[in-house]
Amino acid sequence: MKKAKIARAGLAIAAAGALIAGTTVPANAAKRTTVVIVTSNELSGLNSSVSGYNLTINGDVGYLSGNGFNYYDNKKVLQKNTALGSYKIISQKPFKVQYTVNKGRVWSDGTPITGVDLLLSHVLASTTYSVAAGLGDPNDAEQTPAFDSLGYGGAYDEHHVGLPTLSADKMTVTVEYDAAIPDWEIVGPGPSPVHTLVHLAAGKTKLQSVSANEAARAQFEKAFNAYNGKFLKGLGAVWSKSYNVNKVDSSTNPLLLVGNGAYLVKSITPGQGISMVRNARYNSGPALRGNIKSIQFRYIKDGTAAAQALRNKEIDVYSGQPTADSVALLKSIPTAKVISVNEGCYEHIDLNVGPTYGTDYTYNGVFAGDSQKAKDLRTATLLAWPRQQIVDTIIKPINKNAVLMNTFTVLPNDPRAESIMKASGINTKFGGSQSEREAKALALVQKYYPSASASNPGFDVTVVHAANNARRASEAQLAKAALAKAGINLLPTAATNWSSVGIISGDYDAEFFAWCQTSTSAASPVGTYATEDNYQGYANKKIDDIYAKLKAKAYSFEETGKLYAQVDKEVVDASISLPIFQFPGVTGVNKQLKGIKPALLSPLLVWNYWEWRY
Amino acid sequence: MVGYIFRRLGVLIIILFGSSFLLYNLTAISSDPLEGLRLSRDENAKFQIAALTRTLSLDVPPPLRYFIWLRGVLGYLVGQGTLGATREGGTVVEQISQAIPVSIRLVFMATIIAIILGISLGIISALRQYSRFDYSMTFAAFLMFSLPIFWVAVLLKQFLAIEFNDFLGDPNISLPWMIIISIFSGIFWSGILSLLDRRAYITFALASSLTFFTLFLINYLNWLERPRLGVIGLAIIGSAFAFAITAISVGIEDRKTLRASLTAVLVGLAFYYPVQVAFKWPNHNWVLLGLALLTFLSANLIGRVMGGEDKGPTIRTVTIVSVIFGILTILDRLMQVWPRYVRLSDVNYRPIPTIGDGRIWLEPVGYWIRFLDSLTHLVLPTLALTLISFAGYIRFSRGTLLEVLNQDYIRTARSKGLTERTVIMRHAFRNTMIPMTTILVVDFAGIIGGAIITERVFGWRGMGTLFNSAITNMDLNLLMGVFLVTGTLAVLANLIADLLYSVMDPRVRVGAGN
Repeated sequence: MKKAKIARAGLAIAAAGALIAGTTVPANAAKRTTVVIVTSNELSGLNSSVSGYNLTINGDVGYLSGNGFNYYDNKKVLQKNTALGSYKIISQKPFKVQYTVNKGRVWSDGTPITGVDLLLSHVLASTTYSVAAGLGDPNDAEQTPAFDSLGYGGAYDEHHVGLPTLSADKMTVTVEYDAAIPDWEIVGPGPSPVHTLVHLAAGKTKLQSVSANEAARAQFEKAFNAYNGKFLKGLGAVWSKSYNVNKVDSSTNPLLLVGNGAYLVKSITPGQGISMVRNARYNSGPALRGNIKSIQFRYIKDGTAAAQALRNKEIDVYSGQPTADSVALLKSIPTAKVISVNEGCYEHIDLNVGPTYGTDYTYNGVFAGDSQKAKDLRTATLLAWPRQQIVDTIIKPINKNAVLMNTFTVLPNDPRAESIMKASGINTKFGGSQSEREAKALALVQKYYPSASASNPGFDVTVVHAANNARRASEAQLAKAALAKAGINLLPTAATNWSSVGIISGDYDAEFFAWCQTSTSAASPVGTYATEDNYQGYANKKIDDIYAKLKAKAYSFEETGKLYAQVDKEVVDASISLPIFQFPGVTGVNKQLKGIKPALLSPLLVWNYWEWRY
Repeated sequence: MVGYIFRRLGVLIIILFGSSFLLYNLTAISSDPLEGLRLSRDENAKFQIAALTRTLSLDVPPPLRYFIWLRGVLGYLVGQGTLGATREGGTVVEQISQAIPVSIRLVFMATIIAIILGISLGIISALRQYSRFDYSMTFAAFLMFSLPIFWVAVLLKQFLAIEFNDFLGDPNISLPWMIIISIFSGIFWSGILSLLDRRAYITFALASSLTFFTLFLINYLNWLERPRLGVIGLAIIGSAFAFAITAISVGIEDRKTLRASLTAVLVGLAFYYPVQVAFKWPNHNWVLLGLALLTFLSANLIGRVMGGEDKGPTIRTVTIVSVIFGILTILDRLMQVWPRYVRLSDVNYRPIPTIGDGRIWLEPVGYWIRFLDSLTHLVLPTLALTLISFAGYIRFSRGTLLEVLNQDYIRTARSKGLTERTVIMRHAFRNTMIPMTTILVVDFAGIIGGAIITERVFGWRGMGTLFNSAITNMDLNLLMGVFLVTGTLAVLANLIADLLYSVMDPRVRVGAGN
């Protein structure tokens, strides 16, 4: 056993013996040129428009590797990308929009971008084209269409007229709609490298010459105009399947990686991350201001692990669902700065009034129907709901500027929020201190249950919320305590399948969860309360009319606000729901990295990658 | 025997069928894959719901849907099976085949280290029963047993990655630390080697001064920035191991084995420069495999030629010494590329990472840097897993050895006049390994099941992560795929453990009832 000591001595003498004169390494790194971003989800495919592949991370990578005609900034304003081209309304009746690609824009393989590259968007979004070309009916419950696209069923599909037409120089495409649809800017076409689809369908595995690419594109154009289903089916198979890879390495077909974005995928390691490098031919978007050569994504699910990786300088940007602890942890990192930005989701409490539209369930609870009693009990429940207390105790530790939300259709930082709040009367009806509101609620309850008091509840309210969510569990506890004082016995249930069995079944009187905005479509916030789309069994003709109006026509910002105010008023009057808080968000960024401005909408973090710099 | 195995396999199929049916239905009933879409405000959300319902056959009630899944699995019998697609794209088979190697890489090393360390420390503390060393090992074992891995991970990342990397920016071990480490090492070695007497002080003094000297040299040679062993280092460490292994396995008085071990070290040194050239050849894996084969061959040859009459023990000893020397040579090669590794832009002068299993994505680098990169990524998770799992091995091997030492055949062996080393290593240790084996087999099956928390905190995507994300994403196909693999392995491992036991312990016979 003494030999172990000899080994130790050996190590020492060995080190002495192996004395080699060597220069020491300066331990300060050269200027960093890589941005490493944490993502909690793994990339599942390079084409986020394929059904089942529209994950945030797939979209982020798609955003970096491809530029369209516009993008959302961090204020939710749609900005035009004038580097790629321009678009304008050329006629109101019939409603026509013209898209022109600037000359000299190129794909990463050197092929010039033309209007032909915009035509694929039509194939991906038009049910009539899909059916006419024999590519399958996207609404068929049995059969998947040749292009398994998520684009079907939207406003473009419903309103476009005929085929988009190409100008003589092939740089301009004109799309016609049957009405001046409000979302025309969002649903318009974008460029796709169709020549790579043609090559992929032909079994090519290498990048082709520009002339071969032009020929391939001409082939597509011909097939498109001729409704050549056989040819397009081949492209559809490639478009729907070949891009669905979670791994990219030197054996990956380079045709799959062609794009017009500033950064193109170089490698993807399953379970680890994505590496994107700068596209030397990039000229389809805003010029890059910094010297960022590579953008990488690392898959990290654990918040603490991400914070420690930030501290260890392995990553540069981390955005996550924060808790008070994780915010404190991020703030403790000396080399990072913390940006607080609220997210596009808001928490709210919903009360049911009937069975969910379109289901066979029934709901006969205390809140059912339009009777004065049901309405009063709903009002009492909402009055006693400790909204301010929830914001103060749960949200403020994360974001000290958090406010109680008082609008249904817009988020608190919206300039119209104030006037909508005034018009809806939410503060008159549901304002006041917690004790005042509890007293009001108790009085309402006592109208129907005279013996009700804090110690003797008048009736039960069952509420369902998502399980595995500590924040919601605390909300339920706070609400239970507060409602008890108003003579209401709240019975919370946490369920993993709350979204199917919970909010749809009619087994519960109430539910609380979050609505998230995923687009800036003016109609969508109203859709939440439309008769066919809400889960509460709430039917209101007025709201339905406003919903239809907003879908059919573009209104100005202020006009939309006035319509929203009417919706808010209806919802407040009916006592079916109350908003509580906007989700807090937090982003930790390497202090040396400038220009990160987290946005509310996808692509949350990467929207302004051209502004990033060290 | 054959009948017994077939009966057990039959039971396996029934168990798998029953449990998979239960799991499938419980999960299907308690989850809602459409949750995200129901909350979506997209205009075509309804279209998306229809598309997903079509893909996942959600319109079929769960008990019947199970049989759709089962039909896919049974399809493997006729060569057209499928485990279905995952929610986030890709097939289940693809995901699992990507995850299994990751899981093995993550846990294999930790398990091996935990076993070796755990068993040897357990044996030492059994031999020094009720000594200071025994008590401190018992204390350490229980302490680590009760540590949660996510907490250990956070501490390890803070001290061994973040602060150690900061330290490497200007690597100079300060005097107080040199003293603290030296004293600690002195206490450790004197605890292992002797009880409380004069020898303990000598051991303490020797061990701590040697440690101090080593640390001093590390500082002086700037060894942390430019680590290296070189021929001289290999010669010294290699012969130290030759002495130590000989002493443990056959006893230092066996001169011919000692000579043979030292010869093996000499041969290794003689081939140092040729091997350095071989390391640079292409097809590194084949080269390494060839070198490993050569090592075993030469060890065998040396043992055979120099072993005298009783060749077996000599061959074994020389083989162990040669393997250790081989590992040292590889370490030396890795140390040579270390400075280049640290300078890579992906590494950015932070060599010890806290997450992931690799990070060299930009620069084209050679085999050895990639090798080093995966090793640096293994350091923390391996340490964390080892720390929390070897406590169990310490307690178990200590207990088993003490029990064996009380057996009659040990007393017989001692009364025959055998040396204490022979009694412990040959008679007691081998019998201790019998019950250990069953534990090890089942543990290895558990490896594939994944270390859910470890994988999560260290950002590895093995089976544990798949299982976890299958549950959070309500991904039934993926969940069932993971279950199928881990469930089968768990049941099989138990069968193998039973069979092994009967092979090793002649007192136990499998299928004796027939």
